[in-house]
Amino acid sequence: MFETGIRQFRMAMGMVWGRKLDTTNLARLVEDARATLAEFGEPGSDVQQVLDGPLADPGARADFITRNLRRTARRLDAQSPFYTRRFAAAGIALDKLDVETLRTIPVTVKRDLVDRQSEFLCADSTRYLATRTTGTTGQPTEIWLSRYEIDLLSGLGALAAVLRDEVRESDIIQLNVSSRATVSVHLNAAFCRLIGCGCRVIGLVSPDEALDSLTSGGVTLLSTVPSYLGELVTAARRRGLGPNDFELRRIDGGSEVLTPALAAAARETFGVSHVNDVFSMTEVIPVTGRTCSARHLHHDINMGLVELLDLETGEPAEPGALATVVITPYYPYRECMPVFRYDTRDVVRRLPEGDLDCELAGVPATGPVLGKASQLLHLGAAQMVTPRELAEAVEALPSQPWPGRFRAQLLDGRLRLTLPESALDGLSEVGAHDHFARYGLDVDLALVPDADAVSLRPLRSDLRETTFVNAPALIGD
Amino acid sequence: MLSSFQQSAMEFSVAAPGAVLTSGAALFYLRRVRLERPAIGVFNSRDIRILFTFIVVLPLLYVLLPHWALTCFLSVTFASALSIGLRPVMRQVPMWILIGTLIGANIWLNRTMLGTVYGWQLAWLEGDVAVLLAAMAVSNLYVQGGMKLKHVSGFALALAFYDILFTTILPVNSHLAEEFLGWPLDPSFGMRYGLFNFTIGVGDLLVYSLFLIATFKAYGRTAARFAMGLIFAFGVVAVCVAPLILDNFVTARTDVAIPAQTLFGPAAFVAYLWMRRHYGPERTMREFLASDDVVRPTAQPAPAPVPVLDPAPAPAPA
Repeated sequence: MFETGIRQFRMAMGMVWGRKLDTTNLARLVEDARATLAEFGEPGSDVQQVLDGPLADPGARADFITRNLRRTARRLDAQSPFYTRRFAAAGIALDKLDVETLRTIPVTVKRDLVDRQSEFLCADSTRYLATRTTGTTGQPTEIWLSRYEIDLLSGLGALAAVLRDEVRESDIIQLNVSSRATVSVHLNAAFCRLIGCGCRVIGLVSPDEALDSLTSGGVTLLSTVPSYLGELVTAARRRGLGPNDFELRRIDGGSEVLTPALAAAARETFGVSHVNDVFSMTEVIPVTGRTCSARHLHHDINMGLVELLDLETGEPAEPGALATVVITPYYPYRECMPVFRYDTRDVVRRLPEGDLDCELAGVPATGPVLGKASQLLHLGAAQMVTPRELAEAVEALPSQPWPGRFRAQLLDGRLRLTLPESALDGLSEVGAHDHFARYGLDVDLALVPDADAVSLRPLRSDLRETTFVNAPALIGD
Repeated sequence: MLSSFQQSAMEFSVAAPGAVLTSGAALFYLRRVRLERPAIGVFNSRDIRILFTFIVVLPLLYVLLPHWALTCFLSVTFASALSIGLRPVMRQVPMWILIGTLIGANIWLNRTMLGTVYGWQLAWLEGDVAVLLAAMAVSNLYVQGGMKLKHVSGFALALAFYDILFTTILPVNSHLAEEFLGWPLDPSFGMRYGLFNFTIGVGDLLVYSLFLIATFKAYGRTAARFAMGLIFAFGVVAVCVAPLILDNFVTARTDVAIPAQTLFGPAAFVAYLWMRRHYGPERTMREFLASDDVVRPTAQPAPAPVPVLDPAPAPAPA
């Protein structure tokens, strides 16, 4: 207990002074947290302070943001060639940087990362692991992390997961994400090692293989992307599997739009009470977001600054307006290839002014991610259709077409929605139009053969990996 | 001059109520009151080593400090210990008034009332209350913080060696007892009979309380009764009888200083080994709190519903 106090103090001081955190100390804190849960069954009453920080007070929060911004900017100015030039061009005194003056620094966009990747590498850090984004928007980006970052991020994740009782030593996590998502896989494995639970990295194999693993191996937690979850639900229902066939207690999904229809189907099929909709993005890790029961997206404000900027003007978005999420991860949480004011182009709606009444009310929130800014369809000056609206309507069709495949285009000012034929099974043309009208969509429908469904919209579940399961043996009989 | 038998009888009249009342109060508290604990942290073996280091170093500090500084140090120590124990059961203002009164009265009594035997007795009595409450609070802080019987018995065994070393070979303990006598906030439970003071140290009371409540937490009521018997036999009776058999503990001032833990520590450790073999693994705090060994506040009956009269019928429209 005395040692734990000292460790917490060391970590807190590291955070306050902005020094690199001792990752060995952090790993020991995770062990302490595990011992605490083994003895008491739950952490002490001030655990929320440890997890979410003392940032409920707006004054303390503003001071925290200013200090972290200045520290992060000063380091980037000294170590990152890209930002040395960018800050010099902005002509801003970094010691006077705050949320207001921050706007004089242009946002960093994906094109910057793709074109000038090497300029983002900090001179005082050593590259360890690279990860490439999946390129769903057409341009894969490569991000380097240092060993320190891997140890730190897995440690912080493990500490939070243990204290929130999200992951227990008795758990086995099945990871159905692309095996090329190296950082995600690496972090999950390190995270499980710290917690002492099992980690089964399956990849995006055929859904039947993944289901075999889920039904036979004592898997209690599933981490995947929504499109693959849709494939799992569909395959499980086809095989007649239900809640009694699984030992799952939670599913975590992220990186794509998770619709209420699919989440409900997953809960019903796998017998879990909750499907976590998590916001995370390779470029801005470790800044993530959690979705509460009121479907707000609560961004982590301890490890980075989250700005909501108007899609057109780039100025702070008004309450109720659509905004792009711009994120600055703070030093010392990102070290090797950090970004500053990174425009994710993920669109959210800013919530109206006023106090929140959800279980995460202490953490600022937005509406859920509605899709990428480039995929918004402008029907008129004031009317806009978002990828989330379309996905929610498609995945709620009676045919249960999970994952939802569609293509949306504007033709002569009207919305043309192309679907696979089987998506409208059981619905007349009128019935189909009525269904979409209930979701506020006035659409012209077009159909393609089911065989062409994959070409309508790329999904992460399309990054299918092959195995030799069910194939003839390579050697012998 | 008192005979050895008289000395033992009078020491017994202090040690027995001191050990029984303090351990009993700690047990009463453990069953009813939950102390706040930090978000992360469980008492473990490394903490025992840290605690033991403090115990070795602290007496040296006591010897080196001038009396005024020692009184300040002890005031802070007592105030901290008392506030830990009283915070869950009292509101802030009355709690600090009580703590201030206890410490202030102790300082005043020890500075002004020691001219008579009654004055001494009043000062001891007041100090005993503070010592009892402090030992009760700290023992609960440790055990409710996850300290196990394994740790307590190991701690008592280590203290057995410490006690014999620092009582006979390096007589720091007896020197401290002499130094503290008559000064405010003497960390001992004691009483004066005529010309003689009889005391038992707060450290001994703390170990007895820890042993009793850690046993109760680990193995329940039957084991706790056994632990209480052991405390009485080796922590009280053996300590009081020892001077009748051995004369090694008489100091140059003819005070008798008994290394209580040297007698109690080995017995506690052997008892722990037996209980582990007999009862198996210790209960965790979670299991203890889920058991019926914890006294839970009885639910207050819901207030009787206020009868609602049917609304008077509205007058018929004209």
